[in-house]
Amino acid sequence: MDIFTVALLLSTLRLATPVALIALGETFSERAGIINVGVEGTATLGALVVALISFYTRSPWLALFAALVAGGLAGALHALWCIRWRANHVVSGIGINILVGGLAMFITGAVWGWRGTSPSAPTLNPWIIVIAGFVIICVAQVYLFRTRWGLRLRVVGEKPEAADTAGVNVHLTQYFYTILNGVLCGLAGAFFFNNLGRFTFGMVGGRGFIGIAAMVIGNYSPLGGLGAALLFGFVDALQMRLQAHIPNQFSIMLPYLLTVVVLAAFIRRANVPAALGRHYVKQ
Amino acid sequence: MRQRLRGWLGTALVRETGLTLLAVALAFAVGTLIIWAAGFSISAVFTNLWRGAFGNRISLGQTLTQATPIIFTSLSFLIAFRCGLFNIGAEGQLYVGAMAAAVVGTVLRVPAWLGVPLCLAAGGLAGAFWGWIPGLLKARRGVNEFVTTMMLSYVAIELTNFLVAPRGPLHDRTAWSNQTVRIATTAMLPRIMRPTQVSMALVIAGIAAIVVWYFLFRTPSGYELRSVGQSPAAAEYGGIRTPRKIVLALTLAGFLAGLGGAGEVLGTHYRFIAGFSPGYGWDGIAGGLIARAHPVAAVFAGLLMGALRAGGMQVQRARAAPGDIATVLQGLVIFFIIAPMLIRRLLIWKRRRN
Repeated sequence: MDIFTVALLLSTLRLATPVALIALGETFSERAGIINVGVEGTATLGALVVALISFYTRSPWLALFAALVAGGLAGALHALWCIRWRANHVVSGIGINILVGGLAMFITGAVWGWRGTSPSAPTLNPWIIVIAGFVIICVAQVYLFRTRWGLRLRVVGEKPEAADTAGVNVHLTQYFYTILNGVLCGLAGAFFFNNLGRFTFGMVGGRGFIGIAAMVIGNYSPLGGLGAALLFGFVDALQMRLQAHIPNQFSIMLPYLLTVVVLAAFIRRANVPAALGRHYVKQ
Repeated sequence: MRQRLRGWLGTALVRETGLTLLAVALAFAVGTLIIWAAGFSISAVFTNLWRGAFGNRISLGQTLTQATPIIFTSLSFLIAFRCGLFNIGAEGQLYVGAMAAAVVGTVLRVPAWLGVPLCLAAGGLAGAFWGWIPGLLKARRGVNEFVTTMMLSYVAIELTNFLVAPRGPLHDRTAWSNQTVRIATTAMLPRIMRPTQVSMALVIAGIAAIVVWYFLFRTPSGYELRSVGQSPAAAEYGGIRTPRKIVLALTLAGFLAGLGGAGEVLGTHYRFIAGFSPGYGWDGIAGGLIARAHPVAAVFAGLLMGALRAGGMQVQRARAAPGDIATVLQGLVIFFIIAPMLIRRLLIWKRRRN
């Protein structure tokens, strides 16, 4: 078949990047014990903010920075709700998804008069984000398993009482990594914008949830998440080339169906942080 | 008298309702700030929001029409939530339910007393099947149900899209839009508030709420389901087979959402139309949470969500602001609802100041 080409390989790398970044972000926050299913909405927010700032300032670099800040703020909101107000983690994440969904439609409607889309705006070469993403993931792998800060992070998610006794500030750690998760999702969102050249509602299209799935399949390690993301990137790239051959609804369906199948087939629960989703109350 | 009043005020029902209303009020306050910051007229937005939801008979009909599927999806969300699970795929379950009802509704040639229940059953069962898969995966393999329900929701939407697309097998060749042919008259649910689209589906939604309440709070199986939600370990220790309850909860959640989809086809559109739901599945999450997972309260939460949708349409029509302000308000309500500690803190702060 002529569809297996270098171009397919390159688009695999491209399409895997946002999923891998979200998987990495989720790895950080879940290792600290905070589940965040709001990654989908956080990435959407990143894509929206990058479009807004790039449109008005014509500076894609400034826009990228703004997307990271916006993602971090969404992470901070989630952290505040989960840690300070002891909200259920999953529900707070769903709240972010719904709120951002509404805001994205509201803001595009208010600013450009088109509900759910932005006009095109200056972009960066998406390969910058792809390469940066791969570097970040490799550094994160070393950081998580070979440094003392990585160890502290893992202990917070595993046994917060022990971390506390050892002098680690549990809540501060959780805030930090949940915000970091938001920043990484913002970067993923910036990728979506720079890849397409404008914002459209639904451009993230479940890639946030697929990122969570990639983290689970990758067994809570940055490189593992990258491996799973590459698989999804490949299917995504393949799916786009299949559209000429099968009804496009089936090709669109493929990554989602694959996620369910792969999750069911390869799920390992060895590394699930023991204190995941718990509210740690200092004695 | 005062004692009695104080006792009444202290009841869980009043306290919960009070906290909920306060959360809704706070959400509207923040929403007002957003409207103001975006440069729209606050009074124009809220006048139109109210007018669109309750202004006259037509608007009220629109509110009730929008509320009907949302009550179903709210029940769908909360029944899984009571078992400690997150069904965020009600949207997809709604679509497969609607499709099944439309198919049965077009091919069956039986009297209405039989046709309508058969179509409803078909819709419910299709949705139940869509909920059963994630349930089984959760119970057997421990797969996160919020990822699988969401993924299967996308699959359901694309699958039904395919069936009614121009090259699909169920496409109505006489129509420009992607839809099935009209269902048989005998499969239609009667309209109960002409000239609006409010149908018997609303009544069925109310009955479903009562049945779900009875199931959850008055049957052993419902008690066990809630026990699993409260503490899976304790439930297991008490002899409850947790995996079975997980499958049951998600299957029932799918059934309820599927029933909602069937109601849309049999009562509102009389056919399956691609993309007919503007996000009723998501509204159900907000509805279930606002109802604090109580089935009877879900009826009121569904009405609130329906009113927001109907109001949002009017806001859009009157060009007061983008109608999506309704979704923004919905998201804000969720944040204030799930943080009772925040509300309590605000109350204490107020009391201290007094």
